[in-house]
Amino acid sequence: MTDSGTPKEDRKRFFKDELESSESQIPSLAERLDKSKSFLFGETTEPEDSGSSLFVPNQMDIVEFEKGFKEIMPDISDKMCKTLFEKFEGDAKPVASAVDYYFDHNKSLIKESKKDTEIIDLSDDSYDDQHSSSIIHSNHMNSDPPIHSDSHPKLTFQSLFSQKKDELKKRKAETTNERIAKRKKSSILWKKFLGSMQVTAMATRPTIRPLKYGSELKLHVTESKNLSPSKIYDSKGKRKLSMAQLVKLRDREQDREIGRIPEDIAQIVYPLIDESGVSFEVTLVYSGDKRLSIGDSFIIQLDCFLTSQLFEKEPVSSQSDSTSLKQSGWEISTNAISETQEEVANKYKRVGLLALFNKLRIKEVTDEAKVLESIDNSEPDIVDLEDDDTFESIVSENNNEQDINHSDTMDLNQLQNFYSIAQSLETLKNLPETTPSKDIMKLNLRRYQKQGLTWMLRREGEFSKAASSEEITPPDAMMNPLWKQFIWPNDMSWVSKRDSSVPKSSIENIFYYANLHTGEFSMEKPILVTSMKGGILSDEMGLGKTISTLSLILSAPRDSSSEGKNLFEKEPSEMSPSLTKNPQKPYASKTTLIVVPMSLLHQWHSEFEKSCSDKNLHAEIYYGGNVSNLKAHLTKSKNPPTVLITTYGIIQNEWTKLVKTSEPEIDLNSTTGLFSVSFYRIVLDEGHIIRNRQTITSKAVLQLTGKCKWVLTGTPIINRLDDMYSLVKFLNLEPWSQIGFWKQFVSIPFENKHFKEAFDVVNSILEPVFLRRTKSMKDVDGKPLVDLPPKEVVVERLQFNEDQDTVYKQLLNRAEDSVKLGLARGDLLKKYSTILVNILRLRQVCCDVRLLGSKDENDEDLSNNNIMLNGQLDINSLLTGNDNGTKTNDFTEEELAKTIKIIGEKYYPIEDSSSFECSICTTEPIALSAIIFTECEHAFCKGCLIEYCDYQHMKNLDMKCPLCRHEISKDRLLALKKKEDGSYELCHFNTKSRSSKIVALANHLQQLQDSSPSEQVVVFSQFSSYLDILDNELGEIFSSKSTKIYKFDGRLSLKDRSSVLKDFQIKIPGVQKILLLSLKAGGVGLNLTSASYAFMMDPWWSPSMEDQAIDRIHRIGQKKNVKVTRFIMENSIEEKMLQIQERKRTIGEAMDADEDDRRKRRIDEIKMLFE
Amino acid sequence: MASLPKRIIKETERLVTDPVPGITAEPHDDNLRYFKVTIEGPAGSPYEDGLFNLELYLPDDYPMEAPKVRFLTKIYHPNIDRLGRICLDILKTNWSPALQIRTVLLSVQALLASPNPNDPLANDVAEDWIKNEQGAKAKAKEWTALYAKK
Repeated sequence: MTDSGTPKEDRKRFFKDELESSESQIPSLAERLDKSKSFLFGETTEPEDSGSSLFVPNQMDIVEFEKGFKEIMPDISDKMCKTLFEKFEGDAKPVASAVDYYFDHNKSLIKESKKDTEIIDLSDDSYDDQHSSSIIHSNHMNSDPPIHSDSHPKLTFQSLFSQKKDELKKRKAETTNERIAKRKKSSILWKKFLGSMQVTAMATRPTIRPLKYGSELKLHVTESKNLSPSKIYDSKGKRKLSMAQLVKLRDREQDREIGRIPEDIAQIVYPLIDESGVSFEVTLVYSGDKRLSIGDSFIIQLDCFLTSQLFEKEPVSSQSDSTSLKQSGWEISTNAISETQEEVANKYKRVGLLALFNKLRIKEVTDEAKVLESIDNSEPDIVDLEDDDTFESIVSENNNEQDINHSDTMDLNQLQNFYSIAQSLETLKNLPETTPSKDIMKLNLRRYQKQGLTWMLRREGEFSKAASSEEITPPDAMMNPLWKQFIWPNDMSWVSKRDSSVPKSSIENIFYYANLHTGEFSMEKPILVTSMKGGILSDEMGLGKTISTLSLILSAPRDSSSEGKNLFEKEPSEMSPSLTKNPQKPYASKTTLIVVPMSLLHQWHSEFEKSCSDKNLHAEIYYGGNVSNLKAHLTKSKNPPTVLITTYGIIQNEWTKLVKTSEPEIDLNSTTGLFSVSFYRIVLDEGHIIRNRQTITSKAVLQLTGKCKWVLTGTPIINRLDDMYSLVKFLNLEPWSQIGFWKQFVSIPFENKHFKEAFDVVNSILEPVFLRRTKSMKDVDGKPLVDLPPKEVVVERLQFNEDQDTVYKQLLNRAEDSVKLGLARGDLLKKYSTILVNILRLRQVCCDVRLLGSKDENDEDLSNNNIMLNGQLDINSLLTGNDNGTKTNDFTEEELAKTIKIIGEKYYPIEDSSSFECSICTTEPIALSAIIFTECEHAFCKGCLIEYCDYQHMKNLDMKCPLCRHEISKDRLLALKKKEDGSYELCHFNTKSRSSKIVALANHLQQLQDSSPSEQVVVFSQFSSYLDILDNELGEIFSSKSTKIYKFDGRLSLKDRSSVLKDFQIKIPGVQKILLLSLKAGGVGLNLTSASYAFMMDPWWSPSMEDQAIDRIHRIGQKKNVKVTRFIMENSIEEKMLQIQERKRTIGEAMDADEDDRRKRRIDEIKMLFE
Repeated sequence: MASLPKRIIKETERLVTDPVPGITAEPHDDNLRYFKVTIEGPAGSPYEDGLFNLELYLPDDYPMEAPKVRFLTKIYHPNIDRLGRICLDILKTNWSPALQIRTVLLSVQALLASPNPNDPLANDVAEDWIKNEQGAKAKAKEWTALYAKK
């Protein structure tokens, strides 16, 4: 085309271009406009025939009019615009008149326009009265400078309302857009500069003249926005189409396409162009001072603004956002839920926003004070994508930051950080102390417990009962961690450069806040509101979580709000959601439900009785059938129990029954059990039990309803961060209790090894609801919280006895072979269970050969794999198989009978021979059950003589009778066996079975008995069958007069448990009490401070489990020094286990992200075992 | 240190309440396994009228292990060397856990009454004892007067 082309020709050509470019069948925006015009003017000319000269001037006029008018009235609809144009077409100042008219006849006009244009109703119907009134409002806001309705309205208005231009653009898009957009539209009150970038665009159309520096361009979407997202994005969310083809640059003045922007920018911009919250302005910066040919590049500045709309989102919409987020969160994990088109569009808008923020290098404000300080100096630079150097440097800078972040992931002691942040709160130290009065609580609380009580009362909203310091705790003025704080940059946009008279918005808001995950924006600081009552009390073991909780219960035994007394109580709407969800559930306002592991049931009960001094309050234990109608009992009766204690098992039981009987909808009204009422307060003791939300127990517990919910646990995280989720879910800690949120912000970052990120989120989730104190913490005065007597842990290394040695070597060979085979073949994992069985056997031999063949109740990996274990292991064959001719000088039948006869005659009747003295330990008389006779008719204690034999054996000395030096042999000894009628008979004594550990334990106990005869001793083992053996052996070694043995393991009934513990705690002078405790059944919760000696018979994989066990005796209430002896077999698998324990202590077991990692680690450990 | 076995307490008590004639044994205040022992020279022996100081220590493995006994007073005896070490079978290979402090000390006293130069520890003394028993006994008497004066 030629330079001399008239404007008319230009216009004409534009149309042709437009048609050429819109390849799709869907009519373009311009086409639509034209169509509508043609309707209005009764012209049937199709755009294809636009060459007609008659059409062109008309068209020019209406475009001009529309432009001018919309600069004043951005929200005006096209049809109304046309109506007005019709009216004032002939006027001298059509725009001004039209505006006047519009203001005068607003409502009628709308109706008119609607009526008139029904046929061509392209806009949506939501332009109702309410909307137009908001338009007026917006105009008043901006009408401070008087509107000059001059003959050149465009120029005047442009400067005054330049910011409306984008809205015009956008409005156009919106009105023509036939989205089902039902959401409320509000006008744009202001827009703020967000940032600029310089972009190299490519000319797609030649220009006649060089483009002027600073000439305005606009972004234009060529395709109709009707294009459904599914056409743009394929099912996997990838773009099918090139965005650069969809987003074009147009000359604003001539409204003609000039060029396109690079794909990466287009991808960001495309989803945002019609988003009312964001607006763009494009200005040409450089085009080489020559006219552009196709393919020439030119530089534009893209100014980005955020508008008030973005900040006005209704909470409704944000909620829908969050639901869509929830779904997308699910999608990531399941890939099952497909999203609606609108959701996809929303999603990509969020992505676009995020990308825009990245592109503009908008950085989060982390230190508010610092920013405020330097606010005057800060000059945000225009991001120049062309400037390679700066770009590179910035990129590399970012990379550095990432590196730093990445190096954080290597810090495997994050768990400790996590805890330390939770503890380091200074406010925690300065919490005021609440002392419960003597009328309600008998026990004295420690300082930190009083502080804890204050905290707990506050968490429940019982401010009146809690002691208050000067500052009443502000309602958690903590920023929602999903939100980020940003600073408004100085306005560097071209608009402000072009006309400095544009009133700059005063800096009333320096910061703004954005949730880039949901696309929400706010000018106000988004405060994390936690309306949930309760929390997690995670004091370290032994700090008295039970007492703290009881003090809370006694301080606030019933819901005072339900009696209408407490002003601080919140409205029901703020009560926990589950409560309002089930309003039909009767509310047991006077009852706290405490859920505990079975072993602690009675302990809680007795603790309650001990501490409660109010006679009106009482505790009841609920186990299944003992209350026929719990609902009536709790809600109807006059004096319902203040505390109802039950176990996880019972809850699970009741739940299972419920699920089974009533389906598919569980009718909670028909039941009368735990699920039929809503409790005032629910306390989960050892709350980590529900950490796996897939278990029935967890599911059941989550169904309990109550107003206040508490979780007590010393170890909230056992294996992974997700352990916390169940607790959060139980507490109804919004929004985290939605799995989508949790997955997106905790699980997924954690799986991707973004530990810091995940921990940060968890920290901020927990901060308001989490209280943890450790024993080592200091109070305000710098004194440790708890002054416990010192604890001494001694590892005693023992040597195998003969039998153990033989069997152990045999088994070790087998195990090593299978591991080597597995490693060689690379299928170690497949052999996993075989290897574990082998390892288990080795561990059992370390304890006692008789353990072989019994199963390990604690090893989860093996519990389902007992086939292997049931294969009987012939110990004798193991023993004899390797027996290369060691002489056994066992009694023959004859010799035995003869010896029995001689001794039996010498000491007849044997029960009366009360004067046996053991010449080794000088005990007199020896208990009949402990007597052992040598062949030479001398009597000793079993333990003493065996020790002597072993000692001699060790020193390679002959075994001779200590009294007569007659040669003796371990195989030629006699013992007394108690018959059923109570009398004793002589029999052959078999020493083979007594393992080194039992001998060592017996020695320790004997020594202890000698020096301090009335001690209580706890003996831990993880094998309950080993406890049986110990029970027998110790019973044989010690007389029942001076020694009383108790056994506590999983097989013990509930009733027996409490009686055993009760008996054990009572000190009887001169009687040594030994409690054989299964590590699993008694490892947690029990309070055994009456004992100060403990023996750990076998090591457990996880050191924390042993620490837990030791803490049974080393806890508050312990007054004596604690001595713990751990028996370890020398040169055995147990020593390796100690190494693994060490390793676990240093790297922190909680860092295993998932099951696979755990397995891999265990393979490492297996290798370590057989190195 | 491990606590004191009941047997040691029992033995100590008996040594105090029912002492062996001519022998005293007192545990040390700080260490109950260490005893200060005195033995009177048996009548009729060259050590008559002498009072010999000894020390006795019960090792951790006692009574599986024999006590350690040593003369502190200089003595001229074929089975006791210059350092006071005693050659006595029950203190070595023939130890039995049935033996006690009391019996050990009685054995030492008996050793004074009947030296055994055929199983010597102090070879020079033993030689002297075999060659010239009278001379040796005179020398022993002389030493007793010199070093073990009551």
